[in-house]
Amino acid sequence: MLRRNFMALAGAATILFGSGQALSQDMPAPFDKAADVNIALVRYLSTGDFFQAYLAGVENQAAALGVNLRVLDSRQDAALQADMVDQAIALGVDGIVIQHGLTESMKEAAQRAVDAGIKVVAFDVNVENEAIPQIEQSDYQLGKMALDQAVKDNGNNFTAGYVYVPGIAPLDRRHVAWEETKAANPDITEVAQFGTLDNPIANSVANQARSVLQANPTINVVFAPYDEFAKGVKIAVDEAGLTDDIDIYSADVSTADISAMREPGSAWVATVATNPAVVGEASVRALALMLAGEDPGASVVVPPTLITQAFLNEQDIKNMDDLGAKMPQFQHADVAMADWMPLPPR
Amino acid sequence: MNDRLLDFSIKYGFLILLFGLIIFFSLTTNGFASARSAAFVLQSVALTGILALGVTCTLVVDGFDLSIGAVATSALMLSAYSMVILEHSALVAVLLCLSMGALVGLINGLLIVRFRVPDLLATLGMMFLLIGLQRIPTQGNSIATGMSLGNGVVAEGTFSKAFLWIGRHRFDLVIERLLPMPVVIFLLIAVFIWLFLGFTRHGRMMYAIGSNERAAGLVGVQVNNYKIAAYMISGVTASIGGILLAARLGRGDIASGNNLLLDSVAAALIGFAVLGAARPNAFGTAIGALFVGILLQGMTMMNAPYYTQDFVKGAVLVSALVFTFYLSSRRTGAGR
Repeated sequence: MLRRNFMALAGAATILFGSGQALSQDMPAPFDKAADVNIALVRYLSTGDFFQAYLAGVENQAAALGVNLRVLDSRQDAALQADMVDQAIALGVDGIVIQHGLTESMKEAAQRAVDAGIKVVAFDVNVENEAIPQIEQSDYQLGKMALDQAVKDNGNNFTAGYVYVPGIAPLDRRHVAWEETKAANPDITEVAQFGTLDNPIANSVANQARSVLQANPTINVVFAPYDEFAKGVKIAVDEAGLTDDIDIYSADVSTADISAMREPGSAWVATVATNPAVVGEASVRALALMLAGEDPGASVVVPPTLITQAFLNEQDIKNMDDLGAKMPQFQHADVAMADWMPLPPR
Repeated sequence: MNDRLLDFSIKYGFLILLFGLIIFFSLTTNGFASARSAAFVLQSVALTGILALGVTCTLVVDGFDLSIGAVATSALMLSAYSMVILEHSALVAVLLCLSMGALVGLINGLLIVRFRVPDLLATLGMMFLLIGLQRIPTQGNSIATGMSLGNGVVAEGTFSKAFLWIGRHRFDLVIERLLPMPVVIFLLIAVFIWLFLGFTRHGRMMYAIGSNERAAGLVGVQVNNYKIAAYMISGVTASIGGILLAARLGRGDIASGNNLLLDSVAAALIGFAVLGAARPNAFGTAIGALFVGILLQGMTMMNAPYYTQDFVKGAVLVSALVFTFYLSSRRTGAGR
């Protein structure tokens, strides 16, 4: 494991930089004195595997650059998050990554940071500011690719259950893909829509899904575009003894999800995901490009990857590390890159 | 005549409403009236029901336990940690969780009786403490087999078959594999708490403490011990809930458990109205949990969105509270 990581690191480093990790002298200002560069991550959401992995990505890329990272976590308090941007301005940071939040509360705070001469990037929150690039994991693509796979596996004539909670930005964007797929394939019937964010989410969704499957025995495909939803539906399908009759398509992935997908006869056949750690790295790289006076573009989209049950079984993938090793596009996204940019060790 | 009608409606109103709901859903939805539906309605109720029975014990002594949801999710994380990372057996994991629940209950009780911290505040503090504590060992990550532990080490342990059996086994009853294990545990705990509170000396003492703590103390009831016991029962039942949750999910999911807390408190409060008891009681709590469960599952089968379900839950709770507090006071007023 360690050895493989080392090999991967050595390989990546050799290809990209010729030899070893980029030395700070090779990097453009201000990274020639990287220890003097301070960046802040201002978070809105932090609880859960996705956000934990995102944070890890941000930390790793910041460490690879050698800059100081300060993490400000508002824990779903929109007003506090705006205050934290002001706090970061007062601390005199050079760059800010805004992670999630509400447009209404963050728009002005972000503008204040830009006015103070600070470089800002925003992940998954639209702050309506031309000076601020958007980092996205393309939730629309996540939904679209999962549904394309569902149509490929089941034809364009199936009876679907759909798990959705309106008002949650990423789910709303995935919902667009579902509406489009339904419009393009009139023989797909949605007989039930359900969903809840009561936690533990998987347990609450499992309870709902049991009722839905009982009331609608014709369902043969469930589109559950969030892994907690998919996990809940899978529990219900198992309990109802319908594993052979129903296929679950979802979005997002984690180590726990991989083992659920790989259980013998699992109904969870495919998921589409971006690696949240890679998104975190791309966020910091985009910010670094701006600090070095380069332009990362108005939006930096980290492309998602289709992960099927068959692939996981063939390659005997047990966790996220295996997945990254067997699927290089999941380990690293070639976005917001520059020749001088050091990458985190893998 | 009017008084008798009022009496009757206070006493049986809720049960009649429950019966009416079952008939309504049987007629309007496809597949509600079946043994399988009954089994999964009960399954969806089992978890909140078990927690609600625990909170009932603290309500009986005029206390309150806000930490049950967090105890349940802590037990969920602890069982996963114990089996997946420390590679313990199912028995060790279960015993660890139960003792954790008892310990939390003991600390809650001591905070309340020895340190004189008001019950809501003590258990609120415990709730936050546990929500944080359960995430410290894994730095906020969920626990699953194959997770990397840093330094290239991978967690090799798995949820043992015996442990999953607790949450997933189903007994044959009329139909094969019908009755889920959590439902059996829920019913056992319900019967036990019902007998304990209603038919033992200890249970009556606890009610006496709840209605007048000073008077109970003056006639020689060991108020403090009973109060601590009530919180320990609540902690242990909450940890049983967490074990069942872990066995159903098959992984250590981080969750605050606040929804579990709210749902089970609602069930216990609705229970006040059942049979016109106007006080916490185990039978009422079980019926209250069942009432909410039937309503939610029935509405899900009718494709009702989640926010209407919260609305209905609230409406039921408010009307139950009106039943309890307004109508009962009128009844005693009329009798005077």
